[in-house]
Amino acid sequence: MKKSLFAAYAAVTVALMIWGFYQAIYVAPEEQTMHEVQRIFYYHVPSAMVAFLFFAISLVGSIGFLASRRNHPNRAQMFDAWALSGAEVGVVFCTVVLITGPLWGRRAWGIWWTWDARLTTTLILWLIYVSYLLLRRFAAGPQVQTLAAVLGIFGALDVPIVYMSNRWWRTQHPAPVFGGGPDSGIKDPVMLAAFGWNVLAWLAWGILILSIRYYVERRHQLYAEVEAQEALLAGD
Amino acid sequence: MDRAAVLNHEFTVAAYTITWCIQLGYLALLGMKWRAENRDARRRGAR
Repeated sequence: MKKSLFAAYAAVTVALMIWGFYQAIYVAPEEQTMHEVQRIFYYHVPSAMVAFLFFAISLVGSIGFLASRRNHPNRAQMFDAWALSGAEVGVVFCTVVLITGPLWGRRAWGIWWTWDARLTTTLILWLIYVSYLLLRRFAAGPQVQTLAAVLGIFGALDVPIVYMSNRWWRTQHPAPVFGGGPDSGIKDPVMLAAFGWNVLAWLAWGILILSIRYYVERRHQLYAEVEAQEALLAGD
Repeated sequence: MDRAAVLNHEFTVAAYTITWCIQLGYLALLGMKWRAENRDARRRGAR
């Protein structure tokens, strides 16, 4: 039952991705000033939205781990798996944002990169979560999960700063597409629909890979626990 | 097609291709991790 549900969800996700691609490339009209390169927006912005969402999941997992690690160790492990999965998949989406953005910028601004507030805070966010993953990968000892949880919470503090950066400061980065004042928003309904489909498609894809990552991590935790118990018994 | 239009097209194709390479590459990595976990589980079961 679980397997067939997962397969059905994966099939719907793939269909959404194909539909989103079709909408972005063939249906949405060409933007008047940026022309074809504006279509990068249909992958860039949804990827940023999904990255923020998954960093928020990592934040909830990190707080949950710290809150429950003494009294509910099993629940704490579950929270830790969510924290790690959210951070890792969030980094994947944030990497997409940091590559597609400069590709668009090179054509729109004539430069690959500029140290404006939006770009710099996004790079810092990415670096914090990469350091989180490096800590998880290379550090050993009983405190690794706790240290990672603290780092994960600090990393998530950067998310609202990234979001607000082009509202608080004057930036080279375009003004907010949504919620940025009376002039913000996508005016063309076909463009808006293409954008909406791509948000939905990338969200579905993100949830798919997040759930796989969570499942793999839970299995890893289970086997590590069994191995630790075997080592203890062998020691007796 | 003028040069600007060609460049716009190439940059758009690059952005879409790189996005898919990153996402599918990560999915492949997850698949390998999953297989490694299953292999470890089988080995422990055989022990």
